[in-house]
Amino acid sequence: MSDTAISENAHDTAHDHDAHDHPQEKQYWVIFAILAVLTAVEVAWSYLGLTGPALVLPLIVMMLAKFFLVAGVFMHLYFDLKMLNGKYFTWAFAGAVVLAVIVYLVVFATFHFRFAYFG
Amino acid sequence: MTDVTVDQVVDHHDDHGGGHASSLGLSNMKLAFWLFLGSECLLFGALISSYLLSKTRFITEIIAGNPNVVSTMPAELIQEFQEKGSVEPMFDIPFTSLSSFVLLMSSLSMVLAHSAIVKGDQRNTRLWLGTTAMLGSIFIGGQIYEFTAFYREGLTFTNNLFGSAFFTLTGFHGIHVTGGIIMLLSLLFLSFQGKLNSSRAETVELVGLYWHFVDVVWVLIFTIVYLIP
Repeated sequence: MSDTAISENAHDTAHDHDAHDHPQEKQYWVIFAILAVLTAVEVAWSYLGLTGPALVLPLIVMMLAKFFLVAGVFMHLYFDLKMLNGKYFTWAFAGAVVLAVIVYLVVFATFHFRFAYFG
Repeated sequence: MTDVTVDQVVDHHDDHGGGHASSLGLSNMKLAFWLFLGSECLLFGALISSYLLSKTRFITEIIAGNPNVVSTMPAELIQEFQEKGSVEPMFDIPFTSLSSFVLLMSSLSMVLAHSAIVKGDQRNTRLWLGTTAMLGSIFIGGQIYEFTAFYREGLTFTNNLFGSAFFTLTGFHGIHVTGGIIMLLSLLFLSFQGKLNSSRAETVELVGLYWHFVDVVWVLIFTIVYLIP
């Protein structure tokens, strides 16, 4: 891609950003309502007296749903990632997130193993 | 890329409240801020995992009746921990749920503040920035109340591993919320001085990113620390 093409692309993307690609206020209220309902369901679920995976898995799913709603819509991540030029950056970003999660889980498992077997 | 083209992009972007556009299409400030938030993710990831490991070890020792650990807290509380097999009796879930809801509401008011400044609506910008700061302050007030209640029940920062991990995690989060409130009040001050208009919309957006990040961390803490026994 020539320098001119890159600069035009940057200009276009900036223009798209200026055209307010972000959600409208009504959408923010809808997302907030969903988050509030999810929080209420989470709390209610914790009072059902369930144990083990029946308690934990739905709570984790609801937590992740809230996480991605706030990060994606309120933090504009979903919209900003679409604006980033080229697919490589998006893949690099997603790859870094996956790598971070794997490293986190490996470290966590290692420590848990040490505590469980060596005290 | 020629200098003229870069200037055109920057000028065009600044006219509409954005920062300096990079060749990636986002401003350098925003990309740098995301990098900062990435480092914050590592910090809170470490704190949450430390808490989980410490809590597991603490409960294991309590159930095993290790006298060195059992003696660190009041006998009634230890008995409740042993019966439940978790630290759940320590927490006031309805109260913390209310705090979580307050923080969620503050995220909504933050995006509305950003939306208002993009439109050049000064009155609503101030209204929503002030609301966000107020809701954040209510959350911090709740956290101080909770910490005081725990202290009275016998859980302190230094009496055992669980206390240290819990207060470090939630305390660090509280410090971040306090930092966010200071940023919001600074924006409010700038607004009243007439120095915050639609050309500075990205500044509000960056503070908003920080505020939502703090909210997202609480979403994780609320479920992992309070709801999952």
